[in-house]
Amino acid sequence: MNVSPAERSNNARAKRAAAPSGQSNAGSTTSILEEEAVKSGPDLRAAAARRERLLRIILPVVILTAAILGWEAMVRIKEIPHYILPAPSLILETLVKDWAVLSVSLVKTLEITFAALAVAVAGGVGLAVLFTQSKWIEISFFPFAVILQVTPIIAIAPLILIYVDTIPVALLICAWIVAFFPILSNTTLGLNSADHNLRNLFQLYGATRWQTLRYLRLPAAMPYFLGGLKIAGGLALIGAIVAEFAAGSAGRGAGLAYRILESGYRLNIPRMFAALLLISVTGILIFLTFSLLSHLMLRKWHESAIKREN
Amino acid sequence: MTDVSAPSNNVQNAISGISLRSASLSYEGKVVFEDLDLDLPVGHMTCLLGPSGVGKSSLLRYIAGLSGNGAEATVSGRLLFNGTEGSKADVAYLAQQDLLLPWLNVLDNVMLGSRLRGVRPDCGRASALLERVGLRGQEKSRPASLSGGMRQRVALARTLMEDRPIVLMDEPFSALDAITRFELQELASSLLAGKTTLLVTHDPLEALRIGHRLLLLTGSPARFETPIDPPSEPLRDAGTVEVAALQAAIMERLTAAKHQARAASSNAQIQAGQ
Repeated sequence: MNVSPAERSNNARAKRAAAPSGQSNAGSTTSILEEEAVKSGPDLRAAAARRERLLRIILPVVILTAAILGWEAMVRIKEIPHYILPAPSLILETLVKDWAVLSVSLVKTLEITFAALAVAVAGGVGLAVLFTQSKWIEISFFPFAVILQVTPIIAIAPLILIYVDTIPVALLICAWIVAFFPILSNTTLGLNSADHNLRNLFQLYGATRWQTLRYLRLPAAMPYFLGGLKIAGGLALIGAIVAEFAAGSAGRGAGLAYRILESGYRLNIPRMFAALLLISVTGILIFLTFSLLSHLMLRKWHESAIKREN
Repeated sequence: MTDVSAPSNNVQNAISGISLRSASLSYEGKVVFEDLDLDLPVGHMTCLLGPSGVGKSSLLRYIAGLSGNGAEATVSGRLLFNGTEGSKADVAYLAQQDLLLPWLNVLDNVMLGSRLRGVRPDCGRASALLERVGLRGQEKSRPASLSGGMRQRVALARTLMEDRPIVLMDEPFSALDAITRFELQELASSLLAGKTTLLVTHDPLEALRIGHRLLLLTGSPARFETPIDPPSEPLRDAGTVEVAALQAAIMERLTAAKHQARAASSNAQIQAGQ
């Protein structure tokens, strides 16, 4: 029950006041209490909803802050040397101090990530459209997509680096391989999930194949595509980082993963952590951006994003 | 008995709105109907009744030209609209589901057909139709924010927007509550006056309220029984004695058909068992 303390004491007072007048008044007392409860009902519920919304934000922030403070305290109390485990304050300090180096690497990694994502979107959607036009194309080519997806990127990356001379292109291919599959498979599913009754209706309206694609199947696939994009965004970043690791020192002057490797060789652990922090924050931002995009595009009509009374 | 002209309604048109000649349809080797003839009078609402699964919707889809798209279906026979070999361009279709595109607003949904034909949509007419079905001021709403009854009204407006001489309806009101269904029956009856309409329904009362003529489809393969021509013009009052008597008669025939179908299928099972 969501009854505030003041409410409770009020109720208690009302009961106490009713008690001396004996049993005959018991009925009317409860009815007064009920009236009070009915009156305060909506207010209480709104307050509870507000409290829940607040807790939803406060709780994770508090826990995360506590974990970081605990980390800081542990490093200071146990006097752990910074080349084994740097304190969060030192990591932040390094991030600011080395920003010139790190920001250049961040931009490099982001370039690879978004270029790979763009190619993955174009290729994934294009191939998905091709798949839905003919089941024979789908049957012929889908295995390749699956093979690319299930083979660990870390195992293919060295090969790609051997075959492709330009390092950025090799990195792009690695990131693309990882990001491509969720978009292809989700969009194919989406294009095929347009209601068959609606397809009949389009047929009755004499719609051409292209019109059915443009006005029915592509919009129907949109929620699925956006779901795939959310996954692919994070995967493209991971693919780019993994490829940079595989490239190792060959990727000189490249992205954040190279900075991590380099810092490792030099035992500059705080900078390693700073680069790691940047990668995580970037991944989170990519996810949030695509979640927002998805929400904005679907909130008017798709079941997943519409606000309902209940 | 399958040659259905309309003596009681005094329509002696030489041509029919819809004519079927020896129409056959089998689905996955099972014959749904075979050698079926049908003539529907121009400008009248014909209601098609029958037990579930008898092939009412299949017949409607056959007329709409939608049954030939599965590899499992075998289709034959001649289909004539207004005396000439059938063309889909004459047909508008209203289904049980509203079939609105959720990403378009109400107005764009109503004008979908024009957009697909590459014609500049007539906004004024669409708005006027929406007003006639009682949806004034909802032009910009998305289907998701409307009730089931309102969505079906939009679908009705879209069907009318097409302005085809022939309208096929497949249980369009069956998913609605009783009051809304009642309202929409009246609305459809008045708005579709003058069009050749075939309405598939499982509700004898609905058919008796708004149909000029009632067809019963029974058996397997499906055949037409003797048609019922209720006295007086639609829209009929559901409370009169005649309508009640007719409803009882239809129920009796449908129940008999259902028992027969059940007996036939259990016989077939026994034979298959041996």
